[in-house]
Amino acid sequence: MSDPRVINGVVIDDTFAEAFPMKATRLIVTAHNLTWARHAAASATGFATSVIACGCEAGIERELGPDETPDGRPGLAVLIFSMSGKELAKQVERRVGQCVLTCPTTAVFAGIKEGEAIALGKNLRFFGDGWQISKVIAGVRYWRVPVMDGEFVAQETTAVTKAVGGGNLLMLATDTDAALNVAEAAVQAMKRLPNVVMPFPGGVVRSGSKVGSKYAALSASTNDAFCPGLYGLVAKSEITPEVRCVLEIVIDGLTEADVGAAMRVGMQACIEIGASGGLRRVSAGNYGGKLGPYHFHLHKLLGADGGSKP
Amino acid sequence: MTRVRLALKQVPQLRVDLRGVTPAALAGLAPAQIERILVTHGTQTLPLAEFFTVACDDATDGELVFEGDLSRFDRIGWQLAGGRIVVAGSAGDYVGACMSGGEVQVQGSAGLLAACEMAGGTLTIAGDVGDHAASSLPGSMDGMRGGTLIVRGRAGDRFADRMRRGSALVFGDVGDFLASRLVAGTIAIGGRAGAHVGYGMRRGSLVFAGDAPRVAPTFVPALADAAVAWQLLARDLALHGGPFAGLATRRVVRHLGDLSADGRGELIVAM
Repeated sequence: MSDPRVINGVVIDDTFAEAFPMKATRLIVTAHNLTWARHAAASATGFATSVIACGCEAGIERELGPDETPDGRPGLAVLIFSMSGKELAKQVERRVGQCVLTCPTTAVFAGIKEGEAIALGKNLRFFGDGWQISKVIAGVRYWRVPVMDGEFVAQETTAVTKAVGGGNLLMLATDTDAALNVAEAAVQAMKRLPNVVMPFPGGVVRSGSKVGSKYAALSASTNDAFCPGLYGLVAKSEITPEVRCVLEIVIDGLTEADVGAAMRVGMQACIEIGASGGLRRVSAGNYGGKLGPYHFHLHKLLGADGGSKP
Repeated sequence: MTRVRLALKQVPQLRVDLRGVTPAALAGLAPAQIERILVTHGTQTLPLAEFFTVACDDATDGELVFEGDLSRFDRIGWQLAGGRIVVAGSAGDYVGACMSGGEVQVQGSAGLLAACEMAGGTLTIAGDVGDHAASSLPGSMDGMRGGTLIVRGRAGDRFADRMRRGSALVFGDVGDFLASRLVAGTIAIGGRAGAHVGYGMRRGSLVFAGDAPRVAPTFVPALADAAVAWQLLARDLALHGGPFAGLATRRVVRHLGDLSADGRGELIVAM
């Protein structure tokens, strides 16, 4: 925080978010109506907040109209991120098998064409117990699996692409209401962009972590430097006395530019609320720049214009 | 790569076998070399120059154009793996047979066994085709096994007999025993089908955009909705236009069978 900038009363730290390479795929989940597509997509992207214990990070990217889906029904685009293609393949099969195949009226298609193929309906087809039917249409293989409401249609494979995970923003506010309001506004702004998801509940995480722990079994533990309750107790705190609540938004995107764009619009939404809305500072989490190859400098994202030195 | 144009001098007395005369085989050859390529005419072996005048230009890469009525010329595009063949007229038997890639376009009609054992690429016939199109070579167990066959006219009997994979479309009517012993694949018919539709078919989809066929008693009506698969299929077929345009907006009735065989095929009748 060597050279902070102040915009609309909000201090933008001179720091950066540190992000990591991931593997990702996009799935298109369609259904008889948007309600059931949402049930399936929400279920498939549930318990997918962090690769630390969930195996993947996932979220709903956006709603798709009937003119945007392969079968002309309403649907949702879902992004799933994992640390390796192998783990991603495992997560896709489990989640689609348990959450999409099971959901009434749904069908699932690949949302990315270019990249290494991983199984989508390729193995789920065996649920059909021999009654499954393959159909190749325009060079793409689909599986039709008979189920109790008709048939479940799944594209045979989906493509894996390189992605970026772990872009983040920290919002330091005067109270819980202000912090939630700012975080919700930032998430809302980011959701309007393509190719990104914010995998935590509501897009927001309160349990920001640092690398390591006093307990040998844990690889990560609470980010004590940003815990208001530890102000004055920990050796090095990032908290100032007026800050009582800190929330974080984690962003996973298909490219570095996508993550950067999401962080930019998120910060702009924060700045718009400003100090009068209870926001005091915007910061970001990193590990000293030694672990992740992608560095998103907050000042660079905001550009040269705007702001003043405190 | 150049475009090679073979203009027919006169219709031969006997049938000529054109296997091996493909864009890849002619690539880089001078007209004089092409004229010396040997083909069979009945029991004789004769140079191409006996039948065609040869010209080369740079208009289109990897294209071979036959000009004239080639209905006595068999095996045009036999085992074609790439490039494009245009027949500006009619073609004989076995056109596009065993092709695995590339494109063959027949601007007239074609004879027997067109696209038999075709495995890839696209064969388009503007006119009619004879019997056993998209089926197997005599004595073989599997018929067409990939690629796309488009017939804008009518097709004869035993269309897609033993077909295993790929798509075959007929804009007009088809003869008897359509898709007999079909193993799998997609067939779409724009006109009327003859008797014994899907006789002994195991899997695969037959789409009827024109008249509803007479369904054999070895088929059962499908109770379940297959709206998603139908939309995927119908939208793709609709791209071909003609009787298939607007297919995705039409309601369908399905029959499943043939129960005398595997029974996992479907007849899809667009209403």
